[in-house]
Amino acid sequence: MLAFKLLLRNWRSGELKLLGVSLILAVAVLSGISIFTDRLESTLVVQSNSILGADVVISGSQPLNPLWAEAATAADIKHTQATFFMSVIYAGDEMLLASVKAVDVGYPLRGQFEISDIPYAINPNDISIAQSIPLQGEVWGDSRLLSLLKIKVGDKIAVGEYELRVSHILIREPDGVNQLSSFGARLVMNAADLPLTKIIQPGGKIDYQWLLASDDTEKLKTFIEELKPQLSKNQKIENIDSSRASLSNTLKTAKNFLLLTAVIAVLLAGVAIAIAARQFSERHTNQVALMKSLGVSAFRIRSLYFSQLFLLGVLAACIGLCFGVVIQQLVASSLQQLYHIVLVQSSLYPYVLSFLSGLICVTCFALPALWFLPKVPPLKILRRELAVSMPQIGLQAGLALLAIVLLVVLFSRDIKIALIISAAIIGVLVITFIMALLLLQLSKKLALSLGGVWRLAFASMQRRKGQSMVQILVFSLAMMLLLTLTIVRTSLIADWKIQIPEDAPNHFLGNINSADVSDIRIWIEQHKIKVAPVYPDVRGRLTQINGVEPTEELRNKNNSLRRELNLTWSAVLADGNKLLDGNWWDSWEKNNPQLVGVSVEVETAKSLELKIGDQLHFSIGGLDLQAEVASFRSVDWKSMKQNFFFIFEPYALDKFSPTYGTSIFVPKEHKISLNQFLRSHPTILMIDFGQIIENIQKIINQVSDGIQLVLWLTLVGGCLVLLAAVMSSIDSRKQEAGLLRALGSPRRFILGGVLIEFAIFGFLSGLIAIIGAEFLLFSLQLFVFKNPLQPHYIYWLFSPLIGCIFVAGLGVACCRHVVTTPPAIVLREAI
Amino acid sequence: MSSVAMVEAKAITKSVHTQEGELIILHEMSLAVMVGESVAITGASGSGKSTLLGILAGLDVPSSGDIILNNNVLTALDEEGRAKVRADNVGFIFQSFQLLPGLTALENVMLPLELRGNKAAKSLATDFLAHVGLEKRLNHYPQQLSGGEQQRVAVARAFASQPRILFADEPTGNLDSTTGARIIELLFEMNRAQGTTLIFITHEDRLAELCQKQIELAAGAIVSSRK
Repeated sequence: MLAFKLLLRNWRSGELKLLGVSLILAVAVLSGISIFTDRLESTLVVQSNSILGADVVISGSQPLNPLWAEAATAADIKHTQATFFMSVIYAGDEMLLASVKAVDVGYPLRGQFEISDIPYAINPNDISIAQSIPLQGEVWGDSRLLSLLKIKVGDKIAVGEYELRVSHILIREPDGVNQLSSFGARLVMNAADLPLTKIIQPGGKIDYQWLLASDDTEKLKTFIEELKPQLSKNQKIENIDSSRASLSNTLKTAKNFLLLTAVIAVLLAGVAIAIAARQFSERHTNQVALMKSLGVSAFRIRSLYFSQLFLLGVLAACIGLCFGVVIQQLVASSLQQLYHIVLVQSSLYPYVLSFLSGLICVTCFALPALWFLPKVPPLKILRRELAVSMPQIGLQAGLALLAIVLLVVLFSRDIKIALIISAAIIGVLVITFIMALLLLQLSKKLALSLGGVWRLAFASMQRRKGQSMVQILVFSLAMMLLLTLTIVRTSLIADWKIQIPEDAPNHFLGNINSADVSDIRIWIEQHKIKVAPVYPDVRGRLTQINGVEPTEELRNKNNSLRRELNLTWSAVLADGNKLLDGNWWDSWEKNNPQLVGVSVEVETAKSLELKIGDQLHFSIGGLDLQAEVASFRSVDWKSMKQNFFFIFEPYALDKFSPTYGTSIFVPKEHKISLNQFLRSHPTILMIDFGQIIENIQKIINQVSDGIQLVLWLTLVGGCLVLLAAVMSSIDSRKQEAGLLRALGSPRRFILGGVLIEFAIFGFLSGLIAIIGAEFLLFSLQLFVFKNPLQPHYIYWLFSPLIGCIFVAGLGVACCRHVVTTPPAIVLREAI
Repeated sequence: MSSVAMVEAKAITKSVHTQEGELIILHEMSLAVMVGESVAITGASGSGKSTLLGILAGLDVPSSGDIILNNNVLTALDEEGRAKVRADNVGFIFQSFQLLPGLTALENVMLPLELRGNKAAKSLATDFLAHVGLEKRLNHYPQQLSGGEQQRVAVARAFASQPRILFADEPTGNLDSTTGARIIELLFEMNRAQGTTLIFITHEDRLAELCQKQIELAAGAIVSSRK
């Protein structure tokens, strides 16, 4: 109770404010980040999984084992099935090869079907979200299917031996991982109707998908792990990681960044807490001496102060948590407004963790500073000059590092980032120590040789050697961390934006006859759409390598040996392709004039164990094509552009009567026109992957916005640290300024001294910060983000400059009132 | 005044190690202060007055010799033991007042009472402040009070815990003569009311003469002792 009373009195007197605010900020930033990250992560996973239709999909050519389904039900895991196949659909006299998806009740587990009664519907008012799968006896066909079969909603079509009514037009569906789904028009039907079609025959090319989802990710993971050994060779597990590698990478990088930010935020707040606690304890040495002179035991003093600190920790954690919740809710609401995305609720874990982090901060950052208080000798009440042994800085730093590692482990279980940051901090400590020592040596000489305001500044540095050292260290550390964060953020977001540019192709047009190619080109030109290469496309199989049929083992290892490949020819190396070995056509020399040249994607070449000059045998529509490997290329799969595993030399495929294909970016305003064009060219296949791009862009924007906010919060933390560092010397400055003012020094003279002193600190700290930041970035890029390394020249200029201006400004702002208040009051306050 | 000693120093020596060798601050000093007695310790700067006060009050320990305070041999106790003796017996008044800047006048007086777990801390502290004439300044902070007022708060704080012995280190050193006289008056008035033993360190002859006993120090030794 007394501790609480004392806490309130200390708070009211302002002595605990900086400590309290730093603690609140630490918890607010941590809880804001962790709750937001938790919600964002869950939402992104759910959203990404909506592309997949489930959290995990097990696909293969065998039907689902009913025992597995029972086990999933028993484990309380949601599951459903989908069956994919290609079939010729009949409508009156019209017929069309379409991709059919027969779905069970509950499909999709993530995401939704969007349907309409209007073909090629774009207007949101015309599109509705399906509340169930198609009823029995009904199907949903995509606009192209209806257009090619010349039917409308309500008409009947025949799938195999069964006739079904087209009840709606399919606008969008969970994309699935089905290879077949990218060809032809699409049809969705109820799986209960499947037996009536009599399409499923032994040996037919069917892809069975078992979709699983659970809100309890651990449970699902365990279930899948247990299932793995029972899967057959041709059954594979797909999740967002495997099916959308680039998206998954974005998420991982974003998570790493947010984690890094959280660590930095804690570190900054931790430094502020430690400084504030040290300041608090220094101010309390007299109070403790007084209490001891009154006969209060060391044990009682310790328990009184520690209880105050604990109470402060609990209160600050509660307040910080409330702020954190509000902050993350604000971001969530803005996301909802901007992108119409509702974040799923967070689990309890980040709340508990954030609360605990407040107490960890108190224990590791603040407690060591107060540890010595009970040891203050009572005699200090009589002899103010009596030295009090303060805790070792090393001990404080050690405990602070422990806190960081502890928090990082708790938040992420990622020790690597913590170790990298710790190493960088130690590096900065060493550099700072050396540079600060040099500066102080220099200032000693300069204080003697220079006059006026410069002398005052250098003498002040000399007088407060220890404090100057700590201030330079803290400024450097805070600036290093903020610089790192800013640079990483900028390069990450830039990297993501490059990955999916605003005008990334969102439509694939394929199956274009050579006669239609010019029409397409005219349409593209008319609508001023960015010209994209039109590639010839023939489908063929790779049957022999160097005259030998691939072994079963190689076949199993390599997907390109098991399926039909899209083959093309091109005179130029496409954007995003890089030649790694061999020569492009202009400098390639054939070994055998009978063979055409082929350039192979490097990963495929590796898995097929190919060498330059190897001979490949393709079978294209029953005809043979012999080719010689001319080069290996790397391909940027992250780009949404059309990519090929095998590219032949110009005109090599012309005799196989190719169709043509292209990927283009169609802005929204031209979508109707494109649909009209497609109606007049019904054989052209159009795949609209605008939704996928939109989803990825949405996710990137969400993450970028989240990062932006978190960065601002951390910046506030950084400013607080700088403020704490400046404030740590304010008491002695007050006294000094009061004295100088009393002796008649003009205000400009005193502030000039402060300005020069802090400007030098800021400049030096900025310089140390950029050295440390480059080291930190180097390690982070190398070990965490795995990005190419590059120096940041511009920051080498800006960091010392901004440090100089900002720290000088802060120093002057903090010391201003010292010179504007009458000296008598300043001197009395300083008693 | 009783014939029982409240505090007794037996051949105490205090020395410290300096770069120049061992420096003796107090040399085999012995004295006794009786219960209810008022004693002034005088002497030039550096004569060892403050060191003697610190040792007599149990804030410091002598290098050799014994201190007995209210029948407790301080030199046989550790810091925790000495703290207990101080808590039960000792009060202080300092030249620089030693009020806590973050606390109001009332809270400064309440603090020692609260530390002793006194439930009536607030009313007792209010009474004592009223007694020193500060009933209208209860909620003022030290910076808002004059030097004399601050010292009156310190007096109220010292007497609020009703110590058996009060050590005052230059209590009027920072005050003008009129204010100083008022403070001295207050101290003796409370000494009479509570029977508190008073030990002053002072430069002021006027204050020394008011005491029943004057001890003069020079170079760490008693040069005169008058009653």
